[in-house]
Amino acid sequence: MIFTDKNFQEEVLKSPIPVLVEFWASWCPPCKMVEPIIDRLEKEYMGRMKIGKMNVDINPVTAKRYNVKGLPTFIIFINGKIVYRGVAAKTENELRRVIEEILASQDEEVRV
Amino acid sequence: MNTYHNDRLTCWNCPSAILRGNVDFRACGQSMRRFTSMEGGDVVIECERRPELGHFEPTINFSECPQWKPTKYGRLLDNMRVLILGIDGYLGWTLALKLGALGFEVSGVDNFLRRRMVREKGSMSVVPIASMEERIKAAKKYLDIDINFRKIDVLNRDKLADFLKEVKPEVIVHYAEVPSAPYSMVDADHAIFVQKNNVLGTLGLLFLMRDIVPEATLIKLGTMGEYGAPLTGRPLFEGFFPADAVLLWNGREWSLGGEMTPRDPVSFYHVSKVQDTFNVYEACKYWWLRSYDVMQGVIYGVHTDELATDDKLRTRFDVDEWFGTVVNRFVAQAILGIPLTLYGEGEQIRGFIALEDAMECMVRLISSPPEPGQYTVVNQVSGLYKLKTIAKTVAEVGAEFGFDVKIQRIENPRVESEVHPLEVVAENLPERGFRPRVSLEREIRRMFDLLSRKHIVRRLEKVKDTIIPRTWWSGDKRDPKVLGVYSPDEVREEEGGFRGILHMPLDSVFVYRWEDEEK
Repeated sequence: MIFTDKNFQEEVLKSPIPVLVEFWASWCPPCKMVEPIIDRLEKEYMGRMKIGKMNVDINPVTAKRYNVKGLPTFIIFINGKIVYRGVAAKTENELRRVIEEILASQDEEVRV
Repeated sequence: MNTYHNDRLTCWNCPSAILRGNVDFRACGQSMRRFTSMEGGDVVIECERRPELGHFEPTINFSECPQWKPTKYGRLLDNMRVLILGIDGYLGWTLALKLGALGFEVSGVDNFLRRRMVREKGSMSVVPIASMEERIKAAKKYLDIDINFRKIDVLNRDKLADFLKEVKPEVIVHYAEVPSAPYSMVDADHAIFVQKNNVLGTLGLLFLMRDIVPEATLIKLGTMGEYGAPLTGRPLFEGFFPADAVLLWNGREWSLGGEMTPRDPVSFYHVSKVQDTFNVYEACKYWWLRSYDVMQGVIYGVHTDELATDDKLRTRFDVDEWFGTVVNRFVAQAILGIPLTLYGEGEQIRGFIALEDAMECMVRLISSPPEPGQYTVVNQVSGLYKLKTIAKTVAEVGAEFGFDVKIQRIENPRVESEVHPLEVVAENLPERGFRPRVSLEREIRRMFDLLSRKHIVRRLEKVKDTIIPRTWWSGDKRDPKVLGVYSPDEVREEEGGFRGILHMPLDSVFVYRWEDEEK
């Protein structure tokens, strides 16, 4: 999914499920390398976590609001709040671990 | 509804888009706020070709834009302005005709250095080529192509700047470098000359692009030799590690994703290409230039449809030890009755690509302009072969033409691994719809067909003495000793030996199968 300054409020902040946003830019090789992993995870976690990308050059407002200073930056939002923030390229395993932890902690909250 | 590999690219990729408004130049903490003339938060552009659109968001797909017209290579920008640096060379001339025939506005620059260097060796192009004036006339006469040529040395920045301002290229294909490893190993003067010409020529060009045509794509020619051939067999990715590559140290791990892979050049010429790689990469980072850095395999062959239209349109073909590439030299040796020269073991594995396929790759890259700041490395090979396999294939095809071809092993004048693994990843070109079409045998057949014509055989005889390598990496200048002479049947790949492994996905989604339609 592609996030923009325009759809950020609706698709990210108001999303009923957690959202992982990868902030990226075309001049950032690590961002390019993470792209296929993001696409794969997006499909795999569909319905449980919304996963997508946001180009910081085309959408400078959001990038600035969240103080994105290094790329790629991964931020996970739940109900508009930041629950995870990571900077620099990550392996698929690392991203998976983060996503699973967030989803597991959510499940716990539901049980409580 | 046909789909094309570049349907989903947008104005963000298009050289016709002039950035206006709130594009925050490197938004991530290093803002240079270069394009902030507009009020409000939106990124807007103007289109140089469609001024009636006014200011708009850069979101129009190529599939929706009438300026990007369908062709068998994907959508191509109508009358796209291309500048070929080194247009008089083996590849430059071939590409000029190819792009001209596709409707590009072709301009070109050359200082005829290649002609001079080949003369210095005492050789010449064995396929006769005319002066640039005559070549341009022939291009007009036979293919109705107009070529805007200027004699310029790329190191002359003032003249090059003037020409860039005149042409305003949307793509620059940079072939204006000395393409020879042995030439750079002759002596200090030659090494220094090669590095100066290649490295400083490209560095100056980058500054000119920043100031005059920052939205143009630079297609920069590198070589697979930049990577070397690591004995570990580590795959040669396209310039950068994938995200799943990790560095393990002291029980901790880091992603290497997006970090440049190691380079291990194999001559001072190859070092110049590695230096270029860093210079171009930095320029893209600093100034939002856009570039494809093409790690080209060893090119061979004589054919494209345009070159074959008339003898006056042919491209140069060198067979001397400095400027002849290995397959081209093998065919020349076969015709001249010189046993094909394998260096050392002859087990070296290299990536190769036929001239015609390489030209298609260029068109594919041109059809897919990078985004602002995007620097992408492309491994351009269509097959990996052991040199002894190439020799055997040339010998076998030569036999079809009545040549009795022997193969010899000689001392290796180079410093290189002679027995090694090679694994290459080449995904970027297939993603842009490229499929290798020309097999090794097919192109070798075309080469024998052309080179065994009488007028060319006479020229081959004249340059016969320039074929055997006498330029040693050690600095020696002498004939190498012959280690053995074999008939093609005696040359075999050993069981369990190394084999080249090529990762080239040929089932990408966005491929419109033009060839199916042609049937």
